[in-house]
Amino acid sequence: MDAKIVEFTSLLRQNGLRVSLAEHMDGFRATRLLGLVDRTAFKDALRSTMVKRSVDVAAFDELFDLYFSGLGASVKASTTSLMAALQLDEAALQHLLDALAELLEQLDIQLSDLAHALLRNDTGQLEKQLREAAATAQVEGIQRTFQEGRYSHAMAQAMGLGPLAAELDALKARLDDAGLDPAQLAQLQRLIERRLQDLTDMIKRAVRLELEKRDPSVRENQRLHNLADKNFYYLSEEEIRRMKEAVAKLAQRLKNVVAIRRRQAKRGKFDVKDTLRKNLQYGGVPFKIRFDRRMKDKPQVMVLCDVSDSVRNVSRFMLQFVYSLQDLYSRVRSFIFVSELGEITQLFEEQEIGAAIEHALTGNIINVFAHSDFGRAFRGFHRDYLSAVNNRTTVIILGDARNNYNLPHEWVLKDVQRRAKQLIWLNPENRLTWGFGDSEMDRYLPHCDLVEECRNLNQLYRVIDRLVR
Amino acid sequence: MPTSEATFASIDDVITRFAAQKYICSRRIATVVYLASHLEKPILVEGPAGVGKTELAKVLANALGHELIRLQCYEGLDEAKALYEWEYAKQLLYTQILKDKISEVLGGAMSLKEAVDRIALEDDVFFSDRFILPRPLLRAISAPEPIVLLIDEIDKADSEFEAFLLEVLSDFQVSVPELGTLRARHIPLVVLTSNNAREMSDALKRRCLHLYIDFPPAAQELEIVRLKVPQISTALADEVVSVVQRIRQIDLKKTPSISETLDWAKALALLNAEHLDEALLHDTLSTILKYEGDLRKAQDELKEYLQRQQAQRAAGPAHSDKDVLH
Repeated sequence: MDAKIVEFTSLLRQNGLRVSLAEHMDGFRATRLLGLVDRTAFKDALRSTMVKRSVDVAAFDELFDLYFSGLGASVKASTTSLMAALQLDEAALQHLLDALAELLEQLDIQLSDLAHALLRNDTGQLEKQLREAAATAQVEGIQRTFQEGRYSHAMAQAMGLGPLAAELDALKARLDDAGLDPAQLAQLQRLIERRLQDLTDMIKRAVRLELEKRDPSVRENQRLHNLADKNFYYLSEEEIRRMKEAVAKLAQRLKNVVAIRRRQAKRGKFDVKDTLRKNLQYGGVPFKIRFDRRMKDKPQVMVLCDVSDSVRNVSRFMLQFVYSLQDLYSRVRSFIFVSELGEITQLFEEQEIGAAIEHALTGNIINVFAHSDFGRAFRGFHRDYLSAVNNRTTVIILGDARNNYNLPHEWVLKDVQRRAKQLIWLNPENRLTWGFGDSEMDRYLPHCDLVEECRNLNQLYRVIDRLVR
Repeated sequence: MPTSEATFASIDDVITRFAAQKYICSRRIATVVYLASHLEKPILVEGPAGVGKTELAKVLANALGHELIRLQCYEGLDEAKALYEWEYAKQLLYTQILKDKISEVLGGAMSLKEAVDRIALEDDVFFSDRFILPRPLLRAISAPEPIVLLIDEIDKADSEFEAFLLEVLSDFQVSVPELGTLRARHIPLVVLTSNNAREMSDALKRRCLHLYIDFPPAAQELEIVRLKVPQISTALADEVVSVVQRIRQIDLKKTPSISETLDWAKALALLNAEHLDEALLHDTLSTILKYEGDLRKAQDELKEYLQRQQAQRAAGPAHSDKDVLH
């Protein structure tokens, strides 16, 4: 059993779970303590000692089932398929197997271990033989789907499938000559043929199982990875749902970083002045020691989000991002614009995310069907809200800077940058297309502290990393 | 009495002893508790708020007949608050009161150096057990009896504090510079709880057994409600649990916890309710849902459910306890 736990641990590691040596040893001690009788206790023991992140639990469960019961389940499944193929229920099958065993004894036929296990449907013995054959054929080396055939073949050879087929053929011939009742004979022949087929299936399944053990998380990772790289523009319903989850996670991560940052500045230096003042009442004997408190640097964010037609698909996600941001920090003001500027802070505070975004995009706040005019929107911002920008404010602009050849009024950004802590522009367009056609990105660029292309989650992650650093 | 025994004999023993404390736990929880008590390892309990993480520690202490020492973590918690502190004010007070005595000691000192040397000879007096203010961790380590130490909401503490905890958790010893290293007489059973506000460091996790407690399945929650709120009728308890389980499926800002289910059940029992109807739901739903938006969502969702429930009761009261959710 120890060897199996070692192998299982290395399997966990292969699948990206981090199991340290100490944890591995804890796993040993725990299973020693509990024994192997209770399967769930065994599983819980391994899990509580070796899996420490709740996100890894699902992978652990899957691998545990694959590793500790995969083969057994597969052997058992073959019994079910056997019953279905012969159209027998459990009792009738057992009866048939018993009859065959009796017959073999009568005819004094000695079978090989494998044939015996197969024809007696000895699942334990079969499982053992499969395991041994898998070890001989080194199936654990499998890595890709296309290797399945090769390893199946090797394993079949290790099990001795060729000799077995010959043996079973011989057996069938013997039964033919035994002068049995034709109906029973036919049934027995079918059983024997079927068992050979079953064994081939079992081997294939064993190989497939081995492949899955190495593979599932790799596949899962791949899927997430691809999704994160995908453009916001082309997404299906399902993908949008998953994207939402990711944005929520992102928000969580942001929260954590902020929380940690705030905690680091918990206590200032010894404050001599205040200590003396506070202890005047004790005749200058310093009973109470004072430290100066550091100011908490609460981030203030102002977000301007373009919701014009050209970025329609992206703006939904951008608004989602804005919403999470507003949820996160207490001092966020959000605006949307096409050609005029409208504040949506209140709206986002009061309504839940889906309704709020819907509301923002229907045109009740600003005319969303107008032609984009960044210049006009910026001028509006300058006129009405510039006074709200101070040296602790981060201003984020989300938009493609496609201005329909209107006046860009980049001087607004210059003013904003001078007053604000930083000015960030996130552009959903590919960097290569900036400045072509009616894109005014080149004019706006010099006035921004950070300009990033932000078309997919990965890029957004990167931006956020920079934002909270 | 079996509860006075200091260790658990088996996993089933954990379950029965916890049940005696009115705590219903799954086999998984029992297994981890059993392992922790035998491997002498801390348990790190994670899970959503209100699933009984803190309760687990309390029950564990009761079941073993140990004292529970609790350390509540929060932002800015430091060693002085968690481990020990010198009672500075008391020390000062003593020096003030004992001024005469001190002058006596210093009397006849010819030079400043000599005076300082004499004071230095006496400084043991001021840095002794008398002036130390033990905080939860020191109390846990110096306890003469075995105890259960609960470190609650460790995720709220700073990461430096977490690093400091490592020393305590792996060796169960702390060093006080003035007094030397203090070693635990009994290895305390430690329970750490975390709400996952941030990921704990790998180093800490490595030293702990990990336990994730999720919301219980309907059957188990029903058992809990019946046990904790015995005055509620079976049918109503059933309805309460199925409604709560249903509400947890909805996408809410804050999902109702077990403790809130219990509060609701108690409220309904107090109101002498027989069945849930719309008016009652409207009035009492605020015990489990704490946000306006959540309330509205849940009410919409439950309207349909109630109608079906009512239709069924009209059709035949015999089936009223059947699960109509699916």
